[in-house]
Amino acid sequence: MTIAPPSLINTLPGSSYADPEVFALEQERIFESSWFAVARAADMPTPGKFRTVQVGRESVLLVRDRRGVLRAHLNVCRHRGARLCTEPAGEVRNAVRCPYHAWTYGLDGSLIAAPNLAEMADVDRAEYGLRPVHLREWLGAVWVCLAQRPPSFEDTVMGAVTARLGDADTVEAWGIDRLELGRRIVYDVAANWKLIVENFMECYHCATIHPELTEVLPEFADGFAAQYYVGHGAAFAEDAHGFTIDGGASFPTLSAVDDAHDRRYYAITVNPQVFINLVPDHVIFHRMYPLAVDRTVVECDWLFAPEVVAGGADLSRSVELFHRVNQQDFEACERCQPNMTSRVYDAGGVLVPSEHHIAAFHHWVTEKLAG
Amino acid sequence: MIPVGALAEIPVGEAVRVLADVPIAVFRVSDDTVYAIDDTCTHQKASLSDGWVEGCAVECPLHASCFDLRTGVPDGPPARTPVRTHQVVVVDGMVYLRVSTGAGQVRAEETEVA
Repeated sequence: MTIAPPSLINTLPGSSYADPEVFALEQERIFESSWFAVARAADMPTPGKFRTVQVGRESVLLVRDRRGVLRAHLNVCRHRGARLCTEPAGEVRNAVRCPYHAWTYGLDGSLIAAPNLAEMADVDRAEYGLRPVHLREWLGAVWVCLAQRPPSFEDTVMGAVTARLGDADTVEAWGIDRLELGRRIVYDVAANWKLIVENFMECYHCATIHPELTEVLPEFADGFAAQYYVGHGAAFAEDAHGFTIDGGASFPTLSAVDDAHDRRYYAITVNPQVFINLVPDHVIFHRMYPLAVDRTVVECDWLFAPEVVAGGADLSRSVELFHRVNQQDFEACERCQPNMTSRVYDAGGVLVPSEHHIAAFHHWVTEKLAG
Repeated sequence: MIPVGALAEIPVGEAVRVLADVPIAVFRVSDDTVYAIDDTCTHQKASLSDGWVEGCAVECPLHASCFDLRTGVPDGPPARTPVRTHQVVVVDGMVYLRVSTGAGQVRAEETEVA
């Protein structure tokens, strides 16, 4: 392997992005071991509303119980293993009933009923309830962890936000849990999840593939992403009136966002699968669901003040800017994916200085996989 | 009469299961209204006391037939046969059950709540 000059740092090898065995290890040691954002809490507004999501190798069933508490369980019947809910989202009334033999679980996961269960007095209904998964709510998102002993939520998730913004309180100004979903777009990307994380972390590509974004955020043309700094928001162009596709006016700055954070763009990566963008009048919240070594679904929410959404305002110019950025980014990731198996990329590629902070992500991945 | 227990110990909207000749489910549907029916669904062996009470009916937890607690009659398939109903008496805060002998129905107004 060529020793890179100091300007360049090696990336992970090509196999890291293309080998199904590497991905299987990542499923176990990263996605099933970390806090993983699976949904927006408001996706399940009332008792009985559910979503099913893929986390690592497992399907997870999220449902709001009759007392209004969100619950997460593995989506597996304890009887013969049938997948309980196959729809990505929906609503049940009182219970989750297995379509195979009608084992029936309360929304809190307890085994309520099964044919002839009353005659099996020795069956412990708690023991044979659905297998629960750790759950936290923060920033309006539902985070689950499949590990028996999850890592500290404060250190890993909140810590990542604090590390980027410089302190723990800044993010509260956006009141993300109180914002309303204005638009959701789901992207099915034919690329390894790490290519998407790396893309989000750097802005070396911005001047080349994001003409609209660099019009609004001129410093991005220099190639330094917001993630390169601590507590730094990229300043809007002087002639930009808002974070919109044409720099035109948008919505009023959220009330708790102060002048120091107004007219700026902040970007946060929470390993392994969340990106958060903060702009004065809205928040863009990405959740990635890595499904295969070369396939990642990205669910992106545009969140606005409740009065903006309730008023039926036209959100399209705000949404269009980052939607276009997403399309441009994912196209770039898909351009790389097939070449991860090229002999040229056996040892991987290189990171230029404005991308050197990505090495920290590579170290994180490598350490996780080492167990 | 079979003692069921203290009325106060049955939350409104819930049921207790009593073993008589067959299991019987005793439902408290409001502060002062209690009904009793055979606990076993006539469609497949499910315990109706595990079901959900709405108004004066209970939904079987397995296949969702709703039985009228006053008549024992299911609202529709898959259950087709009514369950037996039984008379309930509340005396000094204690609930008692008078198990009916036949398939006859005990009408709601005969339920005495003291």
